[in-house]
Amino acid sequence: MRDFLKNLSLNRKLGLLAFVLGFFALFAGSPYHGSEATVNAKELALIVEKEVDHVSVQMLADWIIRGKSDFRLIDLRNEKDFAEYHIPSSDNIALSGLDQSNLQRNEKIILYSDGGIHSAQAWMLLKAKGFRGVYILRGGLEEWKDQILFPRIPESPTPAQVVEFARTKEVSKFFGGTPQSGGAVESATPKLSMPKLEAPAGAQSKAAPGKKKKEGC
Amino acid sequence: MIAPFFKYGLFGDDVSLVVAFITGIGFGFFLERGGFNSAKKLAAQFYFTDLTVFKVMFTAIITAMVGLYYLSVIGFVDLSLVYLTPTFLLPQVVGGLLLGFGFVIGGYCPGTSCVAVATGRIDAMVYLGGIMFGILVFGEVFPLVSNFYLSTPMGQITLPQLTGLPYGLLVFLVVLMALGGFVGAEWVEKKMASKKAGASL
Repeated sequence: MRDFLKNLSLNRKLGLLAFVLGFFALFAGSPYHGSEATVNAKELALIVEKEVDHVSVQMLADWIIRGKSDFRLIDLRNEKDFAEYHIPSSDNIALSGLDQSNLQRNEKIILYSDGGIHSAQAWMLLKAKGFRGVYILRGGLEEWKDQILFPRIPESPTPAQVVEFARTKEVSKFFGGTPQSGGAVESATPKLSMPKLEAPAGAQSKAAPGKKKKEGC
Repeated sequence: MIAPFFKYGLFGDDVSLVVAFITGIGFGFFLERGGFNSAKKLAAQFYFTDLTVFKVMFTAIITAMVGLYYLSVIGFVDLSLVYLTPTFLLPQVVGGLLLGFGFVIGGYCPGTSCVAVATGRIDAMVYLGGIMFGILVFGEVFPLVSNFYLSTPMGQITLPQLTGLPYGLLVFLVVLMALGGFVGAEWVEKKMASKKAGASL
């Protein structure tokens, strides 16, 4: 046996090794460890505490404007609300439909709902199912309205705030919002109309779920 | 520590670029060492006189396959998190044929042409120029072909999913296929060498 191995060329030895490993693969079972995942409570608690799983509305707005398409934005509200208004490029999956959704575990997923509670619950659900890249839009749609669609400059702003607001205004306009340049007085009149859905021209086309990645040989 | 490291947040976007750079250099280095910077060597495979390309590629495939399989069986890699290029059957068949034509005519595939450019080959520079031009043309006509480009989508599909066979069995079958391929390739090479020797007499 030893002589037999000794007389083999390196190529043949490697070939033999491949054969042996391939043969044992017949009995080694499936490499997927099923859909049931163990929840590591400590790890989850740490993630929650550090808030690394949060995406701010400014960050998201920036990504959409730049046409970043390596994530899926999921709107967890009901169909009616979704039809009324949703953040451009988002898909509607109700919390109850999360189980049968076509979400892939290897995708980066950003969740939002009106506030933060539903997305937090959905986040937990997906985490328990072994999804890794799940993020919550901090403050949800409420904050999206406050900060992106209808931003407001503070009373007696500092110069830095003025500069910042000029930028925010541009972002707001991109998403069809109406920046509130007056003082806090105006806030009493809740006549802010939501932008039309088609508003941001450049932002709709991307983030198709079937988007191809470029790879070469 | 569980892989894929990037997905598990072990490093971020910046570090991933560094990792990509290092693996890219490594990939190019080994292609060059394999002699893949020569269009003559690459084209020889289509005349069945030198099947190194076939052997190297198949070796890489089964090494990666067996490695990934066992690493995920022992729980080191979570395969379900690994990104798979989605399959679009018809456009990819057509694209593969086009790439094959280009490979036979030009003597390089995209990766090896870059390797050959790095070693200073002028034919490869022309070839790479052609690739750039082709990319430009494709980008310009994309609206016209996008329907075809996205037709027959099958999603991120794997052989075990498609055939319903157990994963381990497929690993074994692919290994057998590769070993058979190696034996066949050596046989063909010998045959062609003796034919050539006979012809030159």
